[in-house]
Amino acid sequence: MHALEGKNLTKTFDKIVAVDNASFEVPEGSIFGLIGRNGAGKTTTIRMMMNIYLPDSGEVILRGTKVGQDFKNQVGYLPEERGLYKKMKVNDIIYYFAELKGKTGRDVHKKADEYLKRFDLYDRRLSKIEDLSKGNQQKVQFIATILHDPEFIILDEPFSGLDPINTNLLREIIMEMKQRGKVIIFSTHLMDFAEKMCDHIVMIDHGKIIMKGALAQVKSKYAQRNISLTYDGDISFLQSDPMIEKISNYGNTTGIRLKDANSSQQLLRMLLDRNVTIKKFDANDISLQEIFIELAGLEDEGKNGRKEVRNV
Amino acid sequence: MFNYRVLALIKRELKEKILSKTFIIMTILMPLIMFGGIGIQMLLRGDEGKSNVAVVSESRVLTESIQKELLSADFMKAGNYTFSFYTQNKEELKSFLDKSKPNLLEGTLTGVIFIPASAMEDKKIDFYSKTPTNLNLTRRLDGYINKVLVNNYFSNKSLSADELEFARKGIDFSGFKITKEEKIEQEGFGNLILSIIFSFLLYLSLLLSGQLLLQSVIEEKSNRIVEVILSSVSPKELMVGKILGSAVTALLQMIIWLSPIILVISTTLFMLPAELTFSITLGHIAFLLTNFTLGLIVFLSLFGMVGSIFDNPQDAQSGMWPIMILIMVPFFIAISMMENPNSPIANIASLLPFSSILIMPVKMTVVEVPLWQLILCLAINTATIFVVFPIAGKIYRVGILITGKKPKWSEVIKWLKYKY
Repeated sequence: MHALEGKNLTKTFDKIVAVDNASFEVPEGSIFGLIGRNGAGKTTTIRMMMNIYLPDSGEVILRGTKVGQDFKNQVGYLPEERGLYKKMKVNDIIYYFAELKGKTGRDVHKKADEYLKRFDLYDRRLSKIEDLSKGNQQKVQFIATILHDPEFIILDEPFSGLDPINTNLLREIIMEMKQRGKVIIFSTHLMDFAEKMCDHIVMIDHGKIIMKGALAQVKSKYAQRNISLTYDGDISFLQSDPMIEKISNYGNTTGIRLKDANSSQQLLRMLLDRNVTIKKFDANDISLQEIFIELAGLEDEGKNGRKEVRNV
Repeated sequence: MFNYRVLALIKRELKEKILSKTFIIMTILMPLIMFGGIGIQMLLRGDEGKSNVAVVSESRVLTESIQKELLSADFMKAGNYTFSFYTQNKEELKSFLDKSKPNLLEGTLTGVIFIPASAMEDKKIDFYSKTPTNLNLTRRLDGYINKVLVNNYFSNKSLSADELEFARKGIDFSGFKITKEEKIEQEGFGNLILSIIFSFLLYLSLLLSGQLLLQSVIEEKSNRIVEVILSSVSPKELMVGKILGSAVTALLQMIIWLSPIILVISTTLFMLPAELTFSITLGHIAFLLTNFTLGLIVFLSLFGMVGSIFDNPQDAQSGMWPIMILIMVPFFIAISMMENPNSPIANIASLLPFSSILIMPVKMTVVEVPLWQLILCLAINTATIFVVFPIAGKIYRVGILITGKKPKWSEVIKWLKYKY
């Protein structure tokens, strides 16, 4: 049984279809990534999972039963646009959010202190929210999200606006949660993070799910024709080679898509013959970014006739 | 509906509101302003300032009698009045007035009272002053001068002391309130003052608590706190929690405001002058508070709804007007009831949704209201809650999650049909 399941979810706002017949499954104990560009329908999907929006059709199933208050009690939710009561004290606000989940008492206070220390906020616990920096406010909000020890943690764009140190801290805590068997669902438009952290992903574009599955499988499915290359030298001769479908320059690495999956060895030989210094030649690797561009881009192509795939 | 989540919401609202400066200041300041205002008015009425009056009469006898009467009067003890007495005829008066003109204009002489000989027949006397309409002064003196004139008039006629006493007396109006009860009670201004106090307090409290709730809803919406809260509670729970939190605060404030009145009517610790006696019972207060509670829920639902529609207080002003009118118009009707408690408009409005919240408690302090009307009033206001709350709730649950441009009213009506 899946931990959480979306079945044919559709949500329309005033004739705009925000989410269109989306189905997906979140396995137990996984880090589940909901990826897509801005405005793709990620937040609406999450709000439907949270039972904040009722879907026009379809349903969200939690371990076999429809989601409701039960799920809300087990979930910690960090929305994309964050806010706290400005006049409340740090301590009070995190206790308050725990209280809304039915958790009160000394244990919660003790745990709050632990988290505050860990996030380097302990000496600010009696400050008002409005006196904190924006980064610190985000940390407070994150503590409020996980203080009641939820089974599910839903994070909408958790890394936006965090500095590198806090990004790492957040990632560390997410991994810890995973080890403790929690289900983590997060949405992001940053493919990098999704790739590093998720074991399952759903890609959503224009409200439709364009791809889903375990990250490893997805990658191997799309990787066969793709080669990730790091090199020194000149590879411009490849542009006109009949084997090659497309070359994308990602800065440090170059992605090469072959017309035929079997010609990767031939390509390697050709590069060596031309005295290109190969630092890395990965014939079984594709970045999520590339997959995303391929899929989302192809969709645009389908819509507007033959259109050049745009590199992001 | 009342679970730990709603309780947590109410608790936070109470903590935030009751500990806020606005609440504390308003709660303490209001009775001070109220009673201070009444006190200042009384002071102003009482403070006549120093008056220096010249009393001129055409007859020596009259001058002497008036001198005797005025100088031995009770009010002279305060030392605010000084008099000078002259016996002059009309011609002499003219030159006296000319001479006194600078003093009169400067104010060192407040006025000149001229009692011509003819006054002994027709009681017509003249008052020369920069401010001849000074009612304080003329009212103060007319009794004494009248007494002298009456004495003088009847002195040659054979009348007994009792008969003279009767002739001297003015008329004294006493108001009696007719109620269903057997005994007819003497009534002073007490209840009229109460009706003003009730009107003001109800008006102020509805507006104040409504605006505070509206601001707090807008804050949650524009700060996006609402989404975090909705991950724990349902929109309905949030709205109920917020409304009840505000209602309890406003009710508490009202009880504090009314406590001096409750003390006065339920104990004998405070003796008010007879003309200021409050002839209401604790039943009145209980009705007022019950009715007010229902009214709070109605109006707070509306204010909460308006708050959810808009992103910022400026935009919300446009949505607030209709609700403000629902509070302000009844307030003016309530105030007008002082003049005519039986006005048909007030009678109708005391049984209408929204307006009865303010008008009925005021009406029952100035006239006797049959029990069935009170019950009907509570029933109507309860029914209003059942109509207003679900509509407000629907708009609220959609509105709090919609940010961006200011919605049109036609869009807001569409929200009612949304499935959320």
